[in-house]
Amino acid sequence: MAKTGVQRRGILGGLVLLSIASGLYLGLVQAPPDAYQGELQRIMYLHVPSILTAYLSFLIVFVASCLFLWKRERRDDILAHSAAEIGVLFTGLTIIEGSIWGKSAWGVWWTWDARLTLTAMLFLIFIGYLMLRALIEDKMRAGICGAVLGILGFLDIPLIHLSVYWWRTLHQPPSVLRPDKAPWENVHPSMLLALSANLIAFLLLYFYLLSRRVRIAEMEDELEKAKLYGAT
Amino acid sequence: MRAWDFVFLTYGIVWSAILVYVLRLWRKYRRIKTELALYQSGAQRDSSEERI
Repeated sequence: MAKTGVQRRGILGGLVLLSIASGLYLGLVQAPPDAYQGELQRIMYLHVPSILTAYLSFLIVFVASCLFLWKRERRDDILAHSAAEIGVLFTGLTIIEGSIWGKSAWGVWWTWDARLTLTAMLFLIFIGYLMLRALIEDKMRAGICGAVLGILGFLDIPLIHLSVYWWRTLHQPPSVLRPDKAPWENVHPSMLLALSANLIAFLLLYFYLLSRRVRIAEMEDELEKAKLYGAT
Repeated sequence: MRAWDFVFLTYGIVWSAILVYVLRLWRKYRRIKTELALYQSGAQRDSSEERI
């Protein structure tokens, strides 16, 4: 049983490496430069997959937190905690990528634009989530407090997505996820291919990291039980 | 800085950060695995001593 899990993680790891290599090739070599942004557009092949992966991660936090509050099962709490940690990593990377792109395209590293500010808020909420969990020793209490914060934090995501429609922002509206046009009507096929390849790479990487992180948390629980058993 | 410098800076930061996180997870996994094996072998030894 355990061997199957190891094998599965090994196959997923191989797929991750392969997809990252294809994503890098398509994004840095094969995709043409943008008509207006030139080579700078290549940052978007990381920026868009990063934020979509972060959204997925916080969606998992939301669902697992709801399940934990309902059923109080430890595995849901482990999943929420693990997903939140990886979500913070991808949100942080999104902010860095956007900042570097912004410096070159807008001339500033940061501006208090609605979407940027709400994304920074999302990052800070989940940094707070991780800090809160680290501060509370009792696992059940940490799980309950974390679940409440995780659910509230997720509500920021629809605001981030809709902020470009609701307010006059410097950040451009979405090119791929828009209700009025299909992605292939708005983005050149070779660019869409590079974007899709990188998105697949990020999603595979995400599930690989999540499976490792969940396994580590389960082993930490086993170790705690073993220590307790050894002490009594 | 030229456009390519910004692109390489971004790709460098992103993949380095992900690599650091993967290595951190890997080290943590190895440490817990070793510690767990130590405790489990200790528990096995205790139970066999009890039987004797």
